[in-house]
Amino acid sequence: MPSDDADLVHTVAAEPAAVRVSGLSKTFGAHQVLKSVSLDVPKGSVTAIIGPSGAGKSTALRCMNLLERPDSGVIQIGSHIIDIDHGVSTRNLAALRRSAGMVFQNFNLFPHMTVLRNITLPQQRVLGRSRDEAEAIAHQLLARMGLPDKGSQYPNKCSGGQQQRVAIARALALGPEVMLFDEPTSALDPEVGAEVLEVMKELASEGMTMVVVTHEMGFAARVSDQVVVMADGGVIEKGAPQDVLHHPEHERTARFLHAVLER
Amino acid sequence: MIRTILAGLPLTLLITATAMALGTLLAVPLTLGLRAGAPPVRWVCRVVVDLFRGVPQLVWLFIIYYGVSAGDARPTALGAGVAALGLVASGYLAEIFRGALKGVAAGQWEAAAALGFSPATTWARILTPQAARVALPAYTNYAIALLKDSAIVSTIGVAEMVFRTGQVARTSDMGVFVYVFTAVIYIALSAPLGMLSRRSDIKLREAVAR
Repeated sequence: MPSDDADLVHTVAAEPAAVRVSGLSKTFGAHQVLKSVSLDVPKGSVTAIIGPSGAGKSTALRCMNLLERPDSGVIQIGSHIIDIDHGVSTRNLAALRRSAGMVFQNFNLFPHMTVLRNITLPQQRVLGRSRDEAEAIAHQLLARMGLPDKGSQYPNKCSGGQQQRVAIARALALGPEVMLFDEPTSALDPEVGAEVLEVMKELASEGMTMVVVTHEMGFAARVSDQVVVMADGGVIEKGAPQDVLHHPEHERTARFLHAVLER
Repeated sequence: MIRTILAGLPLTLLITATAMALGTLLAVPLTLGLRAGAPPVRWVCRVVVDLFRGVPQLVWLFIIYYGVSAGDARPTALGAGVAALGLVASGYLAEIFRGALKGVAAGQWEAAAALGFSPATTWARILTPQAARVALPAYTNYAIALLKDSAIVSTIGVAEMVFRTGQVARTSDMGVFVYVFTAVIYIALSAPLGMLSRRSDIKLREAVAR
């Protein structure tokens, strides 16, 4: 991780965007939840999306792999580009989702399968890997997540922190170009959340491109390369964490940060 | 006497099993229809389910047995019985399946979609197995009810257990006692089914508890 600002900016500018979202808009009924959101995430960097609840952070993230269908906008993940105005083919959708791994607030592991099967089934069904190959990769990932002997357990026998790490392993097993995290620690108590953040930090240091919707300001400050502040469905401010978090330009950002730090 | 009554047992079991199978088979498309995106499909399936469930089995039985014909061909008593019981079963089972699918957390669909599972894979590997576990107790419960309800086909002369019990009651001097004997057979059939259902329910609950 680059240590000084100039170096950081240079790195960011030199790398091609791994995620590029532009003009993302979405309306639920009469309520516009996303107002032309645009976002660039350079390859190998970490972007933290912060902001008050109801700002549209999660919706924006969920639009990136089209779990949520935006009304308009262009989404690029790696080499896959989808322009909503031109329609979304099943094949494009599958390709886009294959290149983006997603981690949910509530883990969403498959409760009727063992931890190992949770990680092997997607590899077999989506990538067509053999069971042996998939299991070898799953064991490797579980070890990396600090869960080497959890494979034969069912998810409900694992703690929340363990389940979330399994969920990260499940997503990583498909070899995504980008990892999307939707408030990955919000359902965990702080101590357990720390285990998960540790794993995410490691992932970042290995050069994984990550977009993280989070309320963890410490994580945003220490791990992210870019902080994006959203409020009322729009991006109100973005930049390097030390700038945005310590010298916010926007009054709304300052108010939000003040409220978070006062808590 | 025991022999005569027990001779009706295979038919009782056959009617129960085939009506349950028919009901399940019809319930699957009805369940999908109840969840369909297109409102007209949902409405039609809703009407069909309510129609199947809302009319007594006995009335369906008479309508099908006496009312349905194709040229000179009329349904056999056994066929009409299975059809009537199967139709009503499909209405109830569709509701059971719909409720069970609703019980599968929305996050499961999302996780499957985000991983890039095809809809077919999502149904086969994620939704159906979880819904089946949720539906199992209610499903077995319906099977037990159907086992007993199959007796109504005796009204159109199908010689299952209750029909034969009636014959024995009329021709022997044992009176109501023959019915007690038949009651014991029904209990002997349904009690293990119920026990099996409760057992597997506890086991499955452990496996899918959230």
